[in-house]
Formats: sequence, C-alpha cells, structure tokens
Amino acid sequence: MSVAAGGEAVSTETANQVDTKGIVVGLVGIYIAGIAADAGIPYLIFLAGIGAVFATKMGADAVRRVCSYGIGTGVPSIGMLALGMGLISAMFGLALGAIIGVPYVGPIVGLVVALVIGFIVGTLANKVIKLNIPVMERCLMEIAGAGVLVMTGLAVMIAGSMDFAVISEKVITTGYIAPVFILGALGILHPFNASLGPDETQDRTLVHAYSVGAIGMTIAGVCSIATINPIAGIISIVIGLAIWYANFMGFVRLVKRDAGAGYVGTGLLPPGAM
Amino acid sequence: MTDVTIMGMLAGNLPSIIGIIIGGLCIAVGVHFVPVGGAPAAMAQATGIGTGTVQLAAGSGLTGLLAAGYMYMVMSAGGAEVGMSQIALICATGAVGAMIMISVTMLVGNWVYIYGVGVPPASAKRDYDPITKDPQAPYVAAGTVGQGLPTVCFVSGAIGGLLGGLGGSLIYCMLMWVNADPAISSIFAIGIFVVNAVLPSYNIQGTIEGFHDPKFKRVPKAIVACFVASLLCGIIAVIIPSAAMLAGGA
Repeated sequence: MSVAAGGEAVSTETANQVDTKGIVVGLVGIYIAGIAADAGIPYLIFLAGIGAVFATKMGADAVRRVCSYGIGTGVPSIGMLALGMGLISAMFGLALGAIIGVPYVGPIVGLVVALVIGFIVGTLANKVIKLNIPVMERCLMEIAGAGVLVMTGLAVMIAGSMDFAVISEKVITTGYIAPVFILGALGILHPFNASLGPDETQDRTLVHAYSVGAIGMTIAGVCSIATINPIAGIISIVIGLAIWYANFMGFVRLVKRDAGAGYVGTGLLPPGAM
Repeated sequence: MTDVTIMGMLAGNLPSIIGIIIGGLCIAVGVHFVPVGGAPAAMAQATGIGTGTVQLAAGSGLTGLLAAGYMYMVMSAGGAEVGMSQIALICATGAVGAMIMISVTMLVGNWVYIYGVGVPPASAKRDYDPITKDPQAPYVAAGTVGQGLPTVCFVSGAIGGLLGGLGGSLIYCMLMWVNADPAISSIFAIGIFVVNAVLPSYNIQGTIEGFHDPKFKRVPKAIVACFVASLLCGIIAVIIPSAAMLAGGA
C-alpha cells in the first residue's frame, strides 16, 4: 500500500490482552451456545456470535499490527488469508470431532491447527519470501486463530450444533458458508483498511471491528431463522443490532475526536479549522 | 465411533495430496503471470489491472471453480466413474472459465483506460513489447510507470488465468475424490486457493506486469513457500470426510 507507514503500531491495549479476550470469550461463547443448543435450549446461540465478535476484534488488532509495517499487497489480502486458513482449520477441527465421536473438541482442535498453520505460513512469508516483518509469525497465528473462531462461532450460530454432520447440512450445503466466509473476512480486514493512515488510533479501529463483527452476527442470526428456530434467530438479530448500534455510534464519536481539522455535517470547514 | 480413521484417510488419499500440491503450485505460478497494478493502476499510473492480486485471483478462481463444478456434475451424471481423462476435461473447463473471466476483465479494463481515461496502453518495464516489438517508452506518460494493458500483459494475464483455473479445478477434483461432497469440496478448494494466492502476492509485493517483469524471477521462492503450504493444506483436507461417510454411507 502506498499509504503504509513503516513501523510498529502504537497500542493502548496490548496484544496479549486482546488475544486473551478474543480466545477466551470466543471459545466460551461457542461452547455455551453449542452445549445449550444440544441440551434443547437454542436461545443462547447468540453467545457464539458474541464470541465471534471478540474474535473479530482479535483478528483486526493483529491485522493492524502487521499491516502497519506495509505488506505491499493491500490490507484485504491478509483478511482473505485469515479466513482461508481459518476455514481449513475450522472444518478440520469439526470433522475430527466427528471422526473420534466427540464433537466438543472441534473448536479447540481447529484453533490449535490454525495456530500451527498460521505459524508455518508466517515463517514461510518471513523466511522464504523474505517479507522481514518482525511480528509476522505471531500476527498470522492470531489472524488464523481469529479466522477459526469467527468461522466456528458463526457456523455454530447458524447450525445450532457443533456436530460436523449438522454444520455440513445446515451451513455448508445450504451455502450460508459464503456469507460467513466473506463477513468474517470483512470483519477482520475492514477495520484497519478503513482507519489506516498516520492518525490511526487503536481504540477507533477496534470499535470499528466490534461493529463489523456485529453485522456478521446479525446476518448469521437472519440465516439461523431458517435453520434453527425463529425466536432464537430474532434474539440474535436484536442483540447483534444493539451491539452494532452502540459500537458504530462509538466509532462516529471517535472519528469526531480524531478529526484533526474539526468536522461539519456538510459544507466547508469552519474558519480557523484550516 | 465410525470406521473413518485419520491414518486410513491419509494413506488412502496420497494421490489426492499430490494433486492438491500440484494444483497449489499452478495457482502460485499463475499469480505471477496476472498483470496486477494495484491502486496506482486504478489511477492509470501503472501498468496492469487496477485492483489487488487477491481480488483477481479470487475472481478468476471462483469462475474457474464454477465452470469446473458444472463439468464435474455433467461428467459424473448417472454415477459415472470420474477417472484421469474426465479430470483432464474438468480441469480444462475450469482453466477456460478462469481465462474468460480474466480476459474479459483485461479487455474491458483496456476500453476504460483507452477511451475513458485516454491513455495508450504501455509498459515501463521494457522498451519494446516482447511480443509485438512495439516501442513502449514514447507512450509512457511522464511521472507514471506505464498504463493500461499492452499486448504482452494481456497474453501473460491469459496464461495466469489458465494456470489459476487449472490449479483450482485440480484441487476441487482431488477433494471430490476424497469426500464426494460438492459443497465441502468447493469451499475447501476456495480456502486452499486463497492461501496459495496470497503467499505469492506477498512475493511480488502486490504488483507485477507479467512474465516480462523482472519480479517474475522471484517465482522459485513462491514455489517453495506454496509447496509447503499446499502440503499442509492437502494433508488436512484429505482427512475431512463427508457427512455421508461419517454416517456410514460410503
């Protein structure tokens, strides 16, 4: 990217904090939603969506850190890479759970496989292709992990189960995997792509990540109306829209805060702002 | 427990892993052929199509996959066995699908550059077009590194589409051999495609003009990287069974 800076991104929330929140909230949300749905209570599936929102934020923060070095191909490429690796790992984890007969290992196996793939791809990018970005390995691990959690979270939301056979029938064969794939990728790549530049701030980018993640959650809720239960779907949609509204308003507030020259709704800037 | 085991899936699907690696390498090399100009090309300040590698790779790959998927459906109609000769036909269909997509993109892009922006297609990387021998330097606007898609870029892009579509279709066929589920195979083929398209795009740092570009010499590095990545993806992909296999149907 021509606008790319060349150095480490300034962070107020450290990478470890973001990762911990993303992985813990992501996994807990997916597990509560999956176990409750298996126990006959589909109304808690929105928790998997909330897990996906936090995982989106983790991915967006990793994209922010790695892309602030300037990767030359534009930010979207790394978001697609995230969901490419995430898709393979997530499906592998869920399928392995089905093979050994314990569906609940799926998300964790998927996460571990994603971390391994992310590390290997990051090493290839740094050592073979010689991108020489110091945070590349770690960030690609985080991005792949976020990809898995987003994919699994939204897939569990739509299927209402962690069973590979059910997900295959309700998410993959129906084609809902396509919006899951592209919305998951957008949530990870778009926040930094929209906010990048010399005045980029971490809190603004991450609030944006929450709002894009919530859009994914809302769409997954719409899909789940047809596949699980209308009431569970509507609960997810309402909660998703509430999260989106709160965070998008927060994003607008931070945009106004960070606007160097002041802002107007329309027309020319006020005198003195220039 | 079902009778699907990890080692059994790995040992029984070795040809599929090799096929996936070959497909991944085709995609990796194909990315280097496609003239990608990025944001500067979108403003007619660099030679190539004005968007990113991944968007182009995804576009041509998905078109190829659609064509290949349809051909696979025709070939396997009535439960017919899909062997090597059928796979060759399916891959050819996918390759042609991807070539059509990328060629139409380049053609219409050139119309926009020539008649809309008003610039002559020219490459700044070579003084003479290697195919038509037309001089390039006089037509490169001052302050830019070329614009539009001269003949050599067009030919190179069509080759890139061919390789990308071929690779994507091959991966799809190999996955269909493993799990016989079009939905899982296609979504997995997209995943492997994306990984193999993004790594080479880091190799060319986002922009390349085609096989005449000096950056094309970096292909070996992308082949090494994509070989490892495809091997990894292939091993994981062939372990995934279809839902029907898990239910004991196959």
